[in-house]
Amino acid sequence: MPLENRINSDPNAVRNTYHTPMSTTVKKPAGGGESASLGVCMRRVAKHRDKDAFAKLFDHYAPQLRAYSLAHEPGAGLVADELVQEVMIRVWLKAGKYNAGLSSLNTWIFTLARNCRIDHLRRNKRYVTTIDPADIFNDIEDENPGPFQQAQISRIEENIHAGLKELPRGQAEVLTKVYLEGKSHRQASVELELPLGTVKSRVRLALKKLEVLLTR
Amino acid sequence: MTTANHSSPDNHPPDELLIGYSAGSLPLSQALCISAHLEHCNTCQRKLQRLNLVGSALMQQLQPSPTSARLKSSILDQLDNLIEEQTPPPSGTDSSVPRCLRQFIRGGYHNLNWKRVSKDISRIELCRDNNGARVELLKIRPGGAVATHTHLGDEYTVVLEGSFSDEKGLYQRGDFLRRDHNDRHTPVATHDRECICLAVSEGPIQLTGFFSRLLNPFIRRTHAG
Repeated sequence: MPLENRINSDPNAVRNTYHTPMSTTVKKPAGGGESASLGVCMRRVAKHRDKDAFAKLFDHYAPQLRAYSLAHEPGAGLVADELVQEVMIRVWLKAGKYNAGLSSLNTWIFTLARNCRIDHLRRNKRYVTTIDPADIFNDIEDENPGPFQQAQISRIEENIHAGLKELPRGQAEVLTKVYLEGKSHRQASVELELPLGTVKSRVRLALKKLEVLLTR
Repeated sequence: MTTANHSSPDNHPPDELLIGYSAGSLPLSQALCISAHLEHCNTCQRKLQRLNLVGSALMQQLQPSPTSARLKSSILDQLDNLIEEQTPPPSGTDSSVPRCLRQFIRGGYHNLNWKRVSKDISRIELCRDNNGARVELLKIRPGGAVATHTHLGDEYTVVLEGSFSDEKGLYQRGDFLRRDHNDRHTPVATHDRECICLAVSEGPIQLTGFFSRLLNPFIRRTHAG
């Protein structure tokens, strides 16, 4: 489904598509107030091992995480539940290491989800190498002093959210392939039946529009 | 010498690789090189932070997929029994070794079982990636030269200690290079000290000097092995 449709979709349509007898309510995307309260929950989890606060984080993030996994492996509900479990457990265990000055909570959760996906692929023998992804991805973002201040991060984040809505369909489509489906530029070019050069330039154009890549 | 320049001009990974790193789609051997570079490079760390924001924003804009109450309660029930595995850094770890390489290098570089491959160069293979890429360390003597070569596949290099230069420039600690079949180069270590590099090669190298060309069949064989 094109990204624009997802962004502008009617929340009722979401329920109709995914409703199951056991489903919990679908949360709306985080607004400013909500993300602030999620930050408070995160601090409670870190400092007081507060399970109610953790449950709030779960309600907000688990459906997102499940969607992220399904974007990569459509229909694989068990894999998606496993990813939710892995990530949420890491949130609980690593809460004390989360540094709000380094990255927003949303971005931290995204990197945890990405790392869990890589780990999952490796454990399922699609990666047979001995290279341990934990050592590659985990430490740098957690421990090094962050070059950005929180205010800067929020501003860039707002720009990106606004910019994504304005992206031409073709550019949004390649970003989805790359980030959500975890495809290489080459795989994206095969699946979208586009020349490799077109995929690369669309990714670059999109990231420039989002002011993520600056012109050299 | 003029060759098509597909590599990044300024000793940093090209954006395409940082994007793949951020999205989690790079082969792990390439991710290893990016990670070793990131430890030294604030510019790329900052770029990576911005790229991660894109991934995060895209994830938030997916249609949420409701989770079952059973999954939630099963996770909540586990919390009390969870103990974070604390893996203390192996004793004697050399802090100059990038974190991502400590899984392979327990002590310092000098405790490794280096194999001498020429008068100037020693190497040690750390591992292989799924795509067949060979992950190794190369050690070049002070002032030593690597035979002029081209690559049948891509080669990624990160300078870990010392520095070297080739036709395109000087590379120092933390610098990242990508070379492909269009690039013919002759790396030479600087004279003051030996140079240690992390090298990931996805295909055998092709020697281009007249005498060293005779060695090519042997190189291909070792890469396949």
